[in-house]
Amino acid sequence: MNILLVEDDLDTAAFIEKGLVQHGELVKHVATAQEGLLVASSTEFDAIIFDRLLPNMDGLDAVKVLRASGIITPILMLTALGETVDRVNGLNAGADDYLVKPFDFSELYARLKAITRRKPISQTELSLSLGDLVLERTSRRVTRAGRQIELNTKEYQILEFLMQSPGQLVTKTMLLEKVWGFSFDPKTSLVQTHVSRLRNKIDKPFSFELIKTVRGCGYIISDE
Amino acid sequence: MNNLLSRTILLRSLLISITSSAGFITLFYIVSLSYLTNLSSEQQHELVDYIEEVQSFYDDDGLQSMLTELDLESKPFWNKNQSIERLSDHEAIFSITRGNTLLVGSEVDIPFEAKPTWSYLDFDNGHEIKVLAYSKVLEGTLLLKVAQPRSYETELASDVLINVGMLSSFLIFIMAFLISYFANFRSQRTLLDIKKQMHVIANSPDSSRLSVESKSAMLRQLASYTNEMLDKISALHGTTKTMSTGIAHDLKTPLSRVVNRLQSMRQDNGDTQAIELHINRASQDLNAVISTFNNLVRLSAIESGKHKQNFELFNLSELVNDLALSYDPVFEDSGRKLSHSTVDNVICFGDTDLLNQLLCNLLENALEYSSADANVWIRLQSHTSGALLQVGDDGPGIHSDDQPHVFERFFRADVSRSKPGNGLGLSIVKAICDVHDAKLALLPNQTGAVFNIEIPVSSS
Repeated sequence: MNILLVEDDLDTAAFIEKGLVQHGELVKHVATAQEGLLVASSTEFDAIIFDRLLPNMDGLDAVKVLRASGIITPILMLTALGETVDRVNGLNAGADDYLVKPFDFSELYARLKAITRRKPISQTELSLSLGDLVLERTSRRVTRAGRQIELNTKEYQILEFLMQSPGQLVTKTMLLEKVWGFSFDPKTSLVQTHVSRLRNKIDKPFSFELIKTVRGCGYIISDE
Repeated sequence: MNNLLSRTILLRSLLISITSSAGFITLFYIVSLSYLTNLSSEQQHELVDYIEEVQSFYDDDGLQSMLTELDLESKPFWNKNQSIERLSDHEAIFSITRGNTLLVGSEVDIPFEAKPTWSYLDFDNGHEIKVLAYSKVLEGTLLLKVAQPRSYETELASDVLINVGMLSSFLIFIMAFLISYFANFRSQRTLLDIKKQMHVIANSPDSSRLSVESKSAMLRQLASYTNEMLDKISALHGTTKTMSTGIAHDLKTPLSRVVNRLQSMRQDNGDTQAIELHINRASQDLNAVISTFNNLVRLSAIESGKHKQNFELFNLSELVNDLALSYDPVFEDSGRKLSHSTVDNVICFGDTDLLNQLLCNLLENALEYSSADANVWIRLQSHTSGALLQVGDDGPGIHSDDQPHVFERFFRADVSRSKPGNGLGLSIVKAICDVHDAKLALLPNQTGAVFNIEIPVSSS
C-alpha cells in the first residue's frame, strides 16, 4: 500500500512509519495540514493517516476540504480526544475511522487494513464463507462442514465481523466498537469471554482452528 | 488589626462631627448676619428720621433750638480724644460747620455722606471705629455731620451671637462625634466578631463555621452564604486530598515500576527472554497509567456535559437486556450468577454509550467485590416519576464507614489498593447519573451492595 501520513509529532510519525515499512508498505510523511492537502490532491494514495491536532489547522477541517475536493481515499484519523462526540464529528467530517492515541501499532494497522478493504463486496454479500464455515446473512444461519451451529446474537455478530476480513487482524477495541457500540474499554474480559464461547462452538468440535488469537492484539480468522 | 478598626471608626466619627458642626456654623452665620443687617438698617432709618426732626427744629426755631435738641446748647468742642471717648460710650458725635469754620462739635473729620453709610473713622494712633456717617446741609453753607457708632443693642447682639455660635457648634461637634462613634462601633462590633470567627475558620476550615447574631438581615445572609461556600470548598478539598493519594498511588507506582524495569533491562542486556518479560510488564504498567488518565479525561468530559448534544430517545429495556446477556457468560465464568428482570419499553432520553458504561461499571464493580459465588441482579422497573434501575449483589457489601465515600474519585474500600482498578469506576457512574438528572444511591442495610438509580423518563 501507498500511505500518506500527516502528523506533526515526529516521534509518533517515526513510530508509525517504521511499523508500516516493516509491513512492506510505502509511506510519505508530511508534518503540516497544508502540505498534507497539497500532496493528497496531487498524488494518489491507498490510505491517508491524518492527525487531528495539527498546528495552524484542525485535521477535521482538512479532511472536510479533501472530501469537498472529491478525494475519496480512505482516511484514518488520529486524535488524543476519545469521546463519542469527537468520534462522531470525525466520521461526519468524512474520515473512515478514528483512532485514539496512544495506540498499539497492530491496532493502527488492523484499522488501516479494514478501511482499505473493498467494502461494497462484503456489505452486499448474502453469505460469507471461509473453508468449510458458511454464514448466511439473511437467515443468520451458521454451518460448518454442513453441521448447523447455534450462536447467540453477540457470537453471531463477532463471527460476521471477523469473516468480513479473513486473514486480517481484528482487535479487541474494534470488536467493542463494532459489536457492542462501546467507545470505552470495560475492565473485564467481555470480548475474550464471548470469543472463547464462539470458538467452543465453531472450532472445538472440528479438527482445524479457524479463529486464531494474536496475543495482546486481537483475533484473525483464516483457513490457512 | 483592632487598632486599625478603632482608627477607622474614629476617623469616620470625626468626619461626621466636623461636617455637622461646619453645617451648623454656616447656617448660624447666615441667620446671624441677616439679623445684624436688619439691626443696622434699622439704625440707619432711625438716624435719618432723627436728623430730619433736628432739621425741622432748625427750620422752625433756628440754630439754638436745634442745638438744644442735640444736647449741644453749651456749644462744646470735642477734640480727638473726647470724640473717641463719646464714640466708645455709644454716643454720636456731631460737627456743625459753616464754610470751613467749625461752629460746634467734633474736630474729627467726619466723611461727607448724603445717605447714612457705614464707614471707618481713622484715628492717628491706628485706632479705627466703625460709624454710621451722615451729613445734612441745613442751609447754604451750614452743614451738619453726624457719626454714630454701632448701637449698644447691635454690639450686644453680635457679641452674644458669636458666643452662642461658638459654644453650640462645639457642643454639636461633641455630640455628633459621640453619636456617630457609638453607632459605628455597634455595627463594627459585628464585623469585628465575624473577623475573629474568620480567623478561627482559617485555622480549622473543615470544622468551624460562622455564626452571626445580628439585626442586619444582610449580615446574616452573608454568613449563611459564606458557610455554604465553605462547605463546598471543604468537600472539594476532601476530593482533592483523596485524588492526590490516588494519583500518587495509581500513577506514581506503575511509573516507578517502569523505571525499575528499564534499569533491569540495562542489567539484563543480551538476555532476550528477560528483556521480553521486562517489556511486557512495562507495557502493562504504562497501559494501566493510560487507562487511569483516560478515565480521568472521560470523567471530566462527562461532567462538562458535552454529551448532552448526543442525547436521544432510546429503549433502555433493550439496552439493559442486551448488556445483561453480554455479561452473563462473564459472570458464569467467574463462578457468579447474573440474573435480570426488566419491564419492556422503558424509553429514556440520554446517551446510550454513557448508559452502557454506567451498567458496565456497576457490573464490573460487582464482579470485583462480591463474594466468589454471589448472585448479582439487574432490575429495571417503572417508577412513579421514571424508571428504577437496580444493580445489586448478595454480599458481602460495602462497610457502612465506606458507604458515603464510594462515589469519590480514587476512593477504594481496600486501603492497600492491591486489587486492580483505579477507583474511578463509581465516580464515572455518579457523573453519568448527574448528567442524566438521575438519582443515584447506595441502599443502606442490605446484605450486599445495592445501587439504586432513579432515571427520569421522557414523557414525549
